[in-house]
This record gives sequence, structure tokens and C-alpha cells, in this order.
Amino acid sequence: MDLAIYDLKLHRGRFIATVIGVGLLFTIVLAMNGLYRGNIQEGLALIKATNPDLWVVERYRGGPFNEQSTLPEFYHYSVKAMPGVEKASPFIYYTVERQIEGKSRHFSIVGFDVFGGLGGPQKIYAGRNIEQAHYEMVAHQKLGLRLGDRIPLGLHTYTVVGLTKEAVSSDGEALVYLSLPDAQEVLYQRDNEAVRDQRERLLRTLSGQSYLSPSQAEKLLPKLQPDTHIINAILVRLKPGINRAEVVRGIEKWLYLSAFSTEEELQLMLKGRLASMTKQLLLFRTLLLIISVIIVSLVIYTFTMEKIRSIAVMKLIGAPNWVIIRMVMEQSLLLTIGAFLFGLALIHNTYQLFPKTLLIAPGDDLFTFMVAFAGGILASILGLWHALKTQPAMALGD
Amino acid sequence: MEILRIEGLSKIFGSGHLEVRALEDINLSVSEGDLVALLGPSGSGKTTLLLCISLILDPTGGKIVFDGQTIFQKNGWAGVDMRRLRREKIGFIFQSHNLIPFLTARQNVLLPLSLVGLKGEKAESRVRELLEQMEIADRADYLPALLSGGEQQRVAIARALANNAKLILADEPTASLDTARGVKVMGLLKKIAKENQSAVIAVSHDERMIEGFDYVYRLKDGRIVGEKTNSTLN
Ligand SMILES: Nc1ncnc2c1ncn2[C@@H]1O[C@H](COP(=O)(O)OP(=O)(O)OP(=O)(O)O)[C@@H](O)[C@H]1O
Ligand SMILES: [Mg+2]
Repeated sequence: MDLAIYDLKLHRGRFIATVIGVGLLFTIVLAMNGLYRGNIQEGLALIKATNPDLWVVERYRGGPFNEQSTLPEFYHYSVKAMPGVEKASPFIYYTVERQIEGKSRHFSIVGFDVFGGLGGPQKIYAGRNIEQAHYEMVAHQKLGLRLGDRIPLGLHTYTVVGLTKEAVSSDGEALVYLSLPDAQEVLYQRDNEAVRDQRERLLRTLSGQSYLSPSQAEKLLPKLQPDTHIINAILVRLKPGINRAEVVRGIEKWLYLSAFSTEEELQLMLKGRLASMTKQLLLFRTLLLIISVIIVSLVIYTFTMEKIRSIAVMKLIGAPNWVIIRMVMEQSLLLTIGAFLFGLALIHNTYQLFPKTLLIAPGDDLFTFMVAFAGGILASILGLWHALKTQPAMALGD
Repeated sequence: MEILRIEGLSKIFGSGHLEVRALEDINLSVSEGDLVALLGPSGSGKTTLLLCISLILDPTGGKIVFDGQTIFQKNGWAGVDMRRLRREKIGFIFQSHNLIPFLTARQNVLLPLSLVGLKGEKAESRVRELLEQMEIADRADYLPALLSGGEQQRVAIARALANNAKLILADEPTASLDTARGVKVMGLLKKIAKENQSAVIAVSHDERMIEGFDYVYRLKDGRIVGEKTNSTLN
């Protein structure tokens, strides 16, 4: 005889309302699970896809993704000259917000050596890779561009020659690949007004120096134009059978740079930028689960208090304690499991609608279910405690 | 055969100047099929006596032997599982609010059967039989809230009788009913108890309700002060 269900039938409305309410909390927990997985996957995607033997960056910087790193472009020749290095390619990566087809879009730009360098797009599902030194681009499908589209970025217009759908930027935004000089130009481009303005400012500074004549100042000016031949990292492929640690030591000692393997680069992201997000999401999920347990506890407590007289009658007619324990605990678990299933169904039908990528993993669902189940048992304790201390004599009297 | 024997039973509530001697030196013997009535003014200890017999309240002193087993003895617990004795051998009917409100009449009667492990068609047919005897079969699927007071008490009696209890304890089962309904409910209780050979100990304020009972005990201030035997039935 299922006492728990007979009782719930009588309180259908309240039961369903609670299932939906707690279910929405579980939806958020499951969404955060997906957000966490999605963030990690996207944060690491470009590193994994690029996958060189070494990432050489500015000394003591964990760049180029976890931290800013800037190097003069010509350094890649020095790295190339190190013993054991087969190939060393310049690499630039930055995030911009630009107008694309009339809409302001946030995306990241990768600049690489298009003539056989490392760091270019991996899988191109439509079109081809960049083959010209200038004015071609490969774009992620997220930007919604078609092959042959002509996109103005700064001073020039770029033609879409290829489309990718795998790797995204570490913020989960679309990636656009350009040739290295194009990428540098888009980053450092200035229109004529800005160039003139900067010349004026520099000239004024120089003219203020009493040891420079006006004509000397005029002559010095071009030398002081900012250098745009800047990159963020050098991607290295090692010769077969070479000891990576030794090459790293060499680069760090002789070139005064830092070098990381792809695995270390992934760890930098996980322990750096992604770590606080991981902790944050863990905290939110823990809080939401605690709130769910408290809500279920209170609802089960009221359900139990409302039938305290029935519980006394049951004890009076000789019902053993397990009958009463089962009734209370079953209600708590029905409520929790019902809410979990509601949340599960909701998230599985809506995860595509979230602005950020949610990666729903069955393992996470299962783990959350087990936590919810334990929470359901925990939530019945308050009600159980009252049910078990009820005296059978309470059944008498009014 | 003797089903219940009480010797020198006493119950004291509280202590010091708050002490209430609710029962003092109660001696009683009840045999199978006996109809026993307890009469007495309010506060005389009738309810306390029923609760002590079923060990819902612990007596202070004396001895209780139920169905050949000593279930209580002064200076110590006799080590019986009273919940089990209650569900297998004792039926309860009280003044009102007897029924579990979220169970239908049928399910209320089924409950004690399922507690002793009786299930399926066997249990269902027993429930049907009891509800028919109590003339309430047509209300089997109603929740208690939709039944009248008399109907509720008849369901309560059916539940008390479900496991062929050897002893039925009834505390003013007709108090919430008008006289006509009360007489009818009591009549059914008497008839079925006799058929089952169950002993009944019923408390009442109203002499009309206990007409035809074998023994009538009067309580006053916790003591039995009068005893009447209906010798016509023997
Ligand atoms: N839990 C208790 N604590 C203290 N005193 C109690 C308790 N229960 C009953 N009493 C006292 O014991 C005495 C007997 O009470 P009991 O309820 O048995 O009377 P009763 O004969 O059933 O009365 P009524 O006809 O009003 O139901 C009363 O004086 C009552 O106040
Ligand atoms: Mg009473």
C-alpha cells in the first residue's frame, strides 16, 4: 500500500508547484554544469587545435592566451636558429569588436605565416586556406559569413576564402584567420587623421628638447613611429627525437624567452583564467543544491506535520516505524527526483538557446542526480524526526 | 478463555503536588467474546485505563496479562513488541478522527491487513466483507471527509475488526453521533464482535449505548466502584 502516493494525490497542486520550483533550480544547476564544460572546452579549443611542440612567449609570461605576451616579430628567426628546432612561426592573437554586415560583432583574430607556417586553421569545411599574402580571410561559421563575402576591416577589405567550425576563441567567440601582416595591420591600423595627430604630438615633444634644432627634430620623427612588427608567440615544431626540455632550457637561457609545451599551455589556462570561473560555478551550484534541499525539507516538513495525527493513528494501530519512515522519505524522494527530471528535461530541450555554449555531459547529469538523491534523503530528516517522536496517544482527544 | 487479566493496576501522572492518581488498584478479567462497558464521570480514568491496557501509556504499577502473555509487570518491561501485538490482536475505535484522511474507506480498512502482510484478492475480499457487514460497502471509495460521522465510525469499526482482533478497545465510539445512529453503530459492533468471538471493552457516558453488554464497570477517581453482570446472557 503506497501511503506516500495516496497522500500526495490529495496535495497534487502543492506537489506539482514544488516540483516545478525546485526543478527550475535543478535546471540552473545542470545549465551551470554545461556552462562549466563548455567554457573549458572552448577555452582550450584553440590551444589543442594549434598543438605545436612549443609555445615561445615573452619572458615570465604565461601567454599568449592566459596572459598578454609581446615579442618583436623577428625573434622567430632566433628561435628557428636554436638547435633541435625544425620550424618556428610567428603567431598573433587578439580580440576585437567590429562591424560585420552592419552588426557589431565580438570575435578574435589569429595572424599566422600563411606560407607554410604553424598556427593556421585546422579543418576547413568549405573553401580553402589563405593562399595570398594579403586580403584573404578564413572565418568561423558563427559569424554567419559565406564564401566570397567581402568584409571591410579597418583600412582594407578582406575576402572570405574558407570556413571553419571547430576551434573558437578562448572566450567562445568566433575566430578569424588572417595573414600575419594583415592581422598586424588590422590591430595597429590608423586612419590619416590619427597618424597626423600622432606626428604632431611627437614633434612637439622633440621640439621641446633644447639640444635639438627644429630640423633635427623633423629628421628624427620617422625613427620614432611605433613598431607594428609585434607578435604574441612563436610556435615551434621540433626535429624528430629531440629532447624538448633541452630546447626549452636553451630558449630560456640564450634568448631570454619562456617556452611551454601544449600540455603546459593547457594547464596555464586551467589554473589561470578558467580556474576562477570553475570555482565560481562550483560555489553557485553548491548554493543552489543547498537551497533545493532546504526547500524540499520545509515542504516535506509541512506535509508531515499535516499528517501528524494520521501518523499517531498508524502507530496506535500498530504500524511499525519503517512504514512511517518509508512514507516520509518516499515523498521527499518523489519530490526531489520529480524536480530533477523536470530540470533534466528542460535543460536538454533548451541548451541550444543559451548564448554561451553548454556542453551537457551524461556523467555530470548522473553526478547531479546522485547529489540530488542524497539531498532528498537529507531533506526528509526534519520531517522524519517529528514523525518518529509523535506519540500514539496523540491520535485520541481533539 | 481469558483474554485479559489486570491485577492491581495503577497509573500516576506527574509527581509532587502535581501528582494525579488516574488509576488505582484496578482488577479486571475479560474472556473471549465478552462485552465490557466502562462507565464513569469525566476524569474518572476511563481513557487512561484503555491506554494502559494497550501499553500506549506505561502503567505505574500492577500487572497485565494479555492472551496468556504478561505484557506488563511492575518493576520492569516484559519485553514484548506492543506495536506488533496492537496490529495483530487489538483493535481501536475512538471518539472521532479515527480514519486516515488521505485514504478512502476501503484503503483505511485495508491498512491493518497490509500491516500484517495480507495482500491481493484475499485482503480485498476481507475488506469487502467487513464493509458489507458494517452496511457501508456503497461508500467504499469515498475519502473520510465525504462520509457522515456515523459512516466514519462504521468504517473505523470495520478497520478495528479487520485482523480478527481478540480485543477491541472503544473509547466513546458514539459520542459524536446522535442517539439513533449511536445505537445502530453499537448494535453492529456488538453483533460482529460476538460473531468473531472478540472481546470488547467500550467506554460510554450513555447507558442506552451499552444495553446488552455482559459486564458493566463503574469508575470513580481512578477506582472501580461498581460492577454489574448481565446474567441473562450465559
Ligand atoms: N497526560 C496526562 N497528564 C496528566 N494528567 C492526565 C493525563 N491524562 C489524563 N490525566 C488525568 O488523569 C485523570 C483521568 O483522565 P482520563 O482522560 O482517563 O479521564 P476519562 O474518564 O477518560 O474522562 P472523560 O470522560 O472526560 O474522557 C484526569 O484527572 C486527567 O486530568
Ligand atoms: Mg476519556
